[in-house]
Amino acid sequence: MSDEPKTPQHDVIVVGAGPAALTAAIYTTREDIDTLLFERAVIGGLAAATDKIDNYPGFPDGVEGLVLSDQLRKQAERFGAVIELGEVTAIRDEGELKRLETTSGDMLARAVLIATGSDYKKIGVPGEQDFYARGVHYCATCDGAFYRDKRLVVVGGGNSAFQETIFLTRFASHIDLLVRSTVRASDVLQAELQEFVKAGKVTIHLATTTDEIVGENNAVTKVVGTHDGQKVEFPTDGVFVFVGLMPNSQFVKDTLDLDTIGFIKTDQSLQTSLPGVFAAGDIRSGATMQIASAAGEGATVALKLREYLEGRSHPPQN
Amino acid sequence: MVKNITIFTTNTCGYCQMVKKYLGAKGMTYEEVNLDEHPHRQAEALQMSGAMTVPVTVVTKTDDSQEIIVGYNLAKLAPAVA
Repeated sequence: MSDEPKTPQHDVIVVGAGPAALTAAIYTTREDIDTLLFERAVIGGLAAATDKIDNYPGFPDGVEGLVLSDQLRKQAERFGAVIELGEVTAIRDEGELKRLETTSGDMLARAVLIATGSDYKKIGVPGEQDFYARGVHYCATCDGAFYRDKRLVVVGGGNSAFQETIFLTRFASHIDLLVRSTVRASDVLQAELQEFVKAGKVTIHLATTTDEIVGENNAVTKVVGTHDGQKVEFPTDGVFVFVGLMPNSQFVKDTLDLDTIGFIKTDQSLQTSLPGVFAAGDIRSGATMQIASAAGEGATVALKLREYLEGRSHPPQN
Repeated sequence: MVKNITIFTTNTCGYCQMVKKYLGAKGMTYEEVNLDEHPHRQAEALQMSGAMTVPVTVVTKTDDSQEIIVGYNLAKLAPAVA
């Protein structure tokens, strides 16, 4: 007999613990499928970093992202889901089993669900990296409190940019919202933000690019952009960037088929190019980037995981 | 050896919850400085971390040396409190 410790094995390992992952875990654990989730950042994912969620069904007055995330976590844990704080760094195919290399050591799973979601993209302009977390930010709910009674610039024209601008009005004296082309935020968010525009708290600058973030003495002082071919400057104490999402798929880029942006391709069963490995939520190519959709995909993929596991009820022992 | 731990947080910060959850799971006690409730201590957090963000976790060792972890960074937090 070997003295080597046996590699831990689970029926399903879920990489991530956002709405898709937690919903899938609610379904799998409720059917007594042994499920372990790995989360490297925040339980609830980007939803947990969102101040208020107004379009998730069942909450007529909206719900704080942290509250929704905590409810999902509790529901999954009630049925026996285990959430481990750590990172999966690679997935290896071993036939009936998948080997996951993690910061807690190797683990084996009969099936894997990747629900790692996305992070906010950077704009890639001079000064952005230099002032990271010292004037340039990507999380309003984390860093907004540092800008009480200060001027801010927010970059972006989608739902996140509008939602986070509304949140930041709690703190900032004034916000310049720089929209590269046209507004893509929902009508509801646009109407809500207009209240702050009317109050003089927010100014929206359409067709305005962000070209450089400038500072001195370790602090941001202005954003330089272009509007109508002319250079424009926005004095500011800080910049918040919400210009789209970047998939968290680096750890499987050599293992699974990805689309040109890096989102994971799946078939109709939400199965990836590697049998036994599934993907759901924002990480999936073609996802709608909505929390409600992610939860729906979580439920769907849980049923597909069950079908997959039932088809292989006697996997070879390790 | 850890002597004490202080975490600078805000009410809305998900990453702050994760640091507290991690330390709680390890049975470690900590002092929480909520910057929404104590905004006058923001400068203190900024001075220690050099970053305008939370969470900032200050781990003071028994020899009074300090490790400062910005954000929810398990790769740094785990060895700092081991």
